Amino acid sequence: MTVLARTWHRLTIPGRLILGLLILGGLLTALLAVLVIFSDDILTILGNNLPIVRFVVAATVVLLITVPTAFLIIYMEMKVIALMNLRVGPDRVGPFGSLLSVVHGLKVLMKEDFTPTGADAPVFTWAPVVVYLASVMTLLVIPFAPGLFGQDMNIALLYFFAMGGLTVVGLLMAGWSSFNKYSLLGGLRSAAQVISYEIPLTLSVVGLLLLAGTMSLNQMVLNQAGWFTDWYVFRQPLGALIFLIAATAEANRTPFDLTEADSEIVAGFATEYSGMRFGFFFFAEYVNVFVISALTVTLFFGGWNAPFPFPAIHLALDPAQLGIALLILIAIVPVLGTLIFAAPFWIATTMASWQALVLGFIVFNLVAVAAVLGWAFVSIEWVAGLLWFMLKTYVFVFLFVWMRGTLPRVRIDQLMGFAWKWLLPASLLNLFVTAAAIVVVDALGGR
Amino acid sequence: MDRQFKRRLEARFGPRLTGPVRQRHDQTEIRIAAADVADTLRTLHDDPEFRFEVLADLCGVDTGTHMQVVYHLWSDTTSDWLRVIADGLSRDDPRVPSATFLWPGAEWMEREGYDMFGITFEGNRDLRRIYMPPDYTSFPLRKDFFLPDDAARSPGGGVRHMEQTHTPRNATSPELVRRTRA
Amino acid sequence: MTTTAQRPSADDPRVLLDQQLGVFEPVPPYPPRTEREAEFYSLGDGEMFINMGPQHPSTHGVLRVVLKLNGEEVVDLDPVLGYLHRGVEKLCENADYHQVISQVDPLEYVSSLFCEWSPVMAFEKLLDVEVPRRAEYIRVLAAELNRIASHSLFMGWMALDLGGLTPILWSFIERDEIVEMLASLTGQRMLFNYFRIGGVNGDLNHEFMSRLGDWMTRATEQIEANLALLNENEIFVRRMRGLGVLDRETALRMCVTGPNLRATGVPFDIRRAHPYSIYPELDFDIPTRSEGDCLARYLLRMDEIRQSLRIIDQCLNRMPDGPVMAKLPRLLRPRPGRAYAGIEGPRGQYATYAISDGTDQPFRMRIHDPSFIHLQCVGLLTPGNLVADTMAIMASLDPIMGGVDK
Repeated sequence: MTVLARTWHRLTIPGRLILGLLILGGLLTALLAVLVIFSDDILTILGNNLPIVRFVVAATVVLLITVPTAFLIIYMEMKVIALMNLRVGPDRVGPFGSLLSVVHGLKVLMKEDFTPTGADAPVFTWAPVVVYLASVMTLLVIPFAPGLFGQDMNIALLYFFAMGGLTVVGLLMAGWSSFNKYSLLGGLRSAAQVISYEIPLTLSVVGLLLLAGTMSLNQMVLNQAGWFTDWYVFRQPLGALIFLIAATAEANRTPFDLTEADSEIVAGFATEYSGMRFGFFFFAEYVNVFVISALTVTLFFGGWNAPFPFPAIHLALDPAQLGIALLILIAIVPVLGTLIFAAPFWIATTMASWQALVLGFIVFNLVAVAAVLGWAFVSIEWVAGLLWFMLKTYVFVFLFVWMRGTLPRVRIDQLMGFAWKWLLPASLLNLFVTAAAIVVVDALGGR
Repeated sequence: MDRQFKRRLEARFGPRLTGPVRQRHDQTEIRIAAADVADTLRTLHDDPEFRFEVLADLCGVDTGTHMQVVYHLWSDTTSDWLRVIADGLSRDDPRVPSATFLWPGAEWMEREGYDMFGITFEGNRDLRRIYMPPDYTSFPLRKDFFLPDDAARSPGGGVRHMEQTHTPRNATSPELVRRTRA
Repeated sequence: MTTTAQRPSADDPRVLLDQQLGVFEPVPPYPPRTEREAEFYSLGDGEMFINMGPQHPSTHGVLRVVLKLNGEEVVDLDPVLGYLHRGVEKLCENADYHQVISQVDPLEYVSSLFCEWSPVMAFEKLLDVEVPRRAEYIRVLAAELNRIASHSLFMGWMALDLGGLTPILWSFIERDEIVEMLASLTGQRMLFNYFRIGGVNGDLNHEFMSRLGDWMTRATEQIEANLALLNENEIFVRRMRGLGVLDRETALRMCVTGPNLRATGVPFDIRRAHPYSIYPELDFDIPTRSEGDCLARYLLRMDEIRQSLRIIDQCLNRMPDGPVMAKLPRLLRPRPGRAYAGIEGPRGQYATYAISDGTDQPFRMRIHDPSFIHLQCVGLLTPGNLVADTMAIMASLDPIMGGVDK
C-alpha cells in the first residue's frame, strides 16, 4: 500500500487527474464490454422483471430530480423574498444569481463535518438521513404526467401521509441527540406541531376520498380531466383550504416555522448540524415544499390536466420516410435559418456581419428548440402533462415562498390551539357535509 | 426655581437637612445624612403635599474625601427637579439604606452604585456586580482607581506587559486624589 | 482542500472537564452572593436553565439572559449585563467638556442626538449659557427626526423578533432616508457629534432642506404604508395583544419612563411635565394608551411618529434667524456646582447629572439611561409566558444595549 501512496505523492496535479481519468476510463470500458457481450442475457433478465426495472429507474430518477428541484426552490425563495423586501437578492453568481444555490450546495459539502461531544453519534448521524428520505420517498407516488409516476399504488395517499409522518421521527432524533437544549426545544416543538397537524391534514382529504372513490393519486388526476371546473377544488373548497394550511404546518413553513425559528432558538433542531448534514435538512425542507405543492395540485387542482381540453392535434411526422432528403434537410436548414434570422440584424443595425451571423444562429437555435418543444407538447402526451403539472406546482411553491416573506410566526400555544380547536372541527364538518351531500345526491339521482 | 418649594422643604425637613437647600436653574437640592434616607424618601413619596412618585435617577458620587448617594425625584407639585444628596458616607465602608422598598426599579441602579463605588445598599436583595465580571476586585468609578494601572489588579491583569502591576507614580499621596467640595 | 478536524485526544484536560461537568449549565461556579441569586439558581421540579447567550440572533445587542424554563414556559429570568460596558462615565472624567459629546454618542447609538442633548443641556446649566433660539429650533428638528428614525427601527426589529422578515427592511428604507438627511446636516449617518455646548455645530444647509422638504411631502403616506403592513396582520396582533401587561402602579414603581410608561396610562412626558428647550412653544399631543401590553407599546410609538412629524412641520415653519452657537471660550471652566438635565428620548427619560469642580474636565458625569431601567421589567413581565414571548416582550420594551451597558 505504501508503494501506491508514494507513487501517488510523486505525481503532480495534472498527473493525478490524468491517472484518475485513465482508471475511470478503463473501468467504464470494462463495464461497457461486459454489457455488450452479455447484452442478450441482460435484456432477457430485465424484460422478465420489467416492473422491478421500472421501479428502480423511477426511484433513481426521483432521487436525481430532488437536488435540482431543491436548488431551484432555494434560489426562488431567496430571489422572491428579496424582491418583496425591496432588496436585490442574489445577483452575482450566474445570470441574476441563479447559480447561487449550486454554489451553496458545493459550499455545504466542503464544510467541516463534526459530531459534538456528548451527542449520541449514531442517532445524530442518521437523523438527517431519515428526514431527507421521508421527504423524498413521498415523491414516488406523485403523478407528474400521464405515465410518469414512480408507482401507482391503490393506497397512494395513505402511503404519502405515512411517509410524511416519518419526518417527525427524524426531527426528534435530531433534537434529542444533539445534546443541546435549543435543539431539544426545537425538536419537541416540531414533534408537537407535526403530530397536531397530521389529523386535520388527513381528515381534510377524506371528503375528497369519498368523492373520488379511490386513494390512488393517478386515478384522482384522471378523474379531474376536462375543464378546470372539474377540478376538485370547486367541489371541496373547505377541504382544499384546510389541506393547504395543515400542509404548511407539516412542512414547517412560515407562519408555522417555530421549529427553526431563528430569532428564538437559533436554528432549532438543526443548531448543532453543519456541512452536508445540515444540507440534508435544508434540502429536505425544500423538497417538502415541492411535495406539498405537488400534492395540492394533484388532489385539488387537476394534476397534469390542462385547464381546458385541448383539441387533439396529430402531427404525423415520420422523419425516417424522407430518406436522403433528411440528410439534405439537416445540412441546409441550419444554414438557411441562420441566414434568415441574421438578415434583419444585418440590415437594420450597424453590426458587423459576423456578429449578425452569431446572433442569427442563436435566434435560429431558440426558434428550433421552441418548434421542437411545441411539437413535443402537442404530440407526446407526457410533455404537455409535465409542463402543466410543473407550472401549477410552482404557482403553489410561489405561494409558500410568498407566505414566508410576508407573515410573522405564530406561537406554539396559538399553533396548537388553532389545530385542535379550529382545523379539526372544520375538517370534520367538511367530512360530514360531503358525506351528507353524497347521500342526498345519490338518493335524488336514484329516485 | 420654585421658592415656595424651598420653603416647604425647609418647613418639613428642617432638622434633618445637613446643609442649606440650594436652588439653581430648575433644580432644588437638599442634603441629608445617610441614616435618614429611608424616612425622607418615604415622606417625599407618600406625603400628599409632595407626591414625588417618579424616581428619575439614583447614583453614587465619590467626592475624594467622602462618598454620596444622589437621588433625583420628580413630582407634579413643583416645577423643579428635586435632588436628595445622602452625604457624608465614609470612603472605606459606605452604607446607605436601599430605596427598593419604595421603588423596586432602583434595584439595578443600586447594583451599579455598588459595582462602581462599593456602596452597600442595605436592603437590596440583589446587590451583586452588574457591569464588571463577578470576580472583579476593584470599584472603577472611585477616585483612587486610575485607569490603566488599577486594571492590573483585575483577574485578567498582569497578562500583558502593559498591565503589569505597579503603584502609580502619582497616586501614593492622598492630596493627589482628585477632590471637590461639591 | 479542507482537512477534517481532529477530535481532542482522550487525555486533553478540556475533554475531561466537559465529562466531569456532565451537564452544561449556565450556573455560576461560585456560591450565590445574594438572596436573589440563590433563589434564581436553585432548580425546582422539572425546570431547566437555558442560556440565551451574548451571541444570539435576537437579543438587542450583546445581552445574556439566563432563562429558567419549565418545558416551554419561562419561570424566571436573569439578565446578565456588562458585555458592552465601555466605562464612558470614567472616560468622561478625563475628557474636556467638549470631548464628552463624542464620548457619549455611542451610548444609545440608534438615537445619538438625544444622548448628546442631555449632557450638553447639563453643561449649559453649569455654565449659565443661553442657547440661541435658532439653535434650539434646529436641535428640536434634528432630534425629532432622530426619534422617527429610532421608532422606525423599533418597528422593524419588533417584527423581526416575531418572525416577519419584510418589515425590518422596509423600516430600514425609512431610516435610511432620515439618516442620509441627517448626514447632510451633521456630516455623519449615525453617531452625529452635532450638538455643541451653546448650540449646534453648523447651520441648516441647502441639501438638508431640500431632502427634508422632499421627504416631508411623502413621509405621511410612506409611514402609514409601513404601519399598515403590521397593524392589520392578524398573526402579529394576536401575538402581541395581552402580552407583558405592565400596569400603572408597577410602571411607576419600576421607574419606567417614556413610551413604556405612557402605554400604561400615565401621561408623563418630560417635554410637557418638565419642559425644556422650545417645547412649550410647540403644539403637539402626548399619545397615551391604557392597556399596557406589547401591542399598546408598539402602537404608541407609531402614534409618536405622527406627533414628531407635526413638530418637525412647526419647526420648519417657525424657524427664526440668528446665530446657531452661543459665544463661548474655547477652554470651558464652569464654576463648581451640580446640574441635572433630563430629556425625553425615544426610549424614555435620558438624563445627565454633571458635577463640576472648577477645572476644565467634569468631576462626575452620571448618565441615566432608560433602557437600563426597562430591562429590569423583562424579569418582571416574562415569567408565565413562553420562550417565544421573551423576545416579543424584550423587543417591545425597546432596549438598546449600548445604553444599558454604558
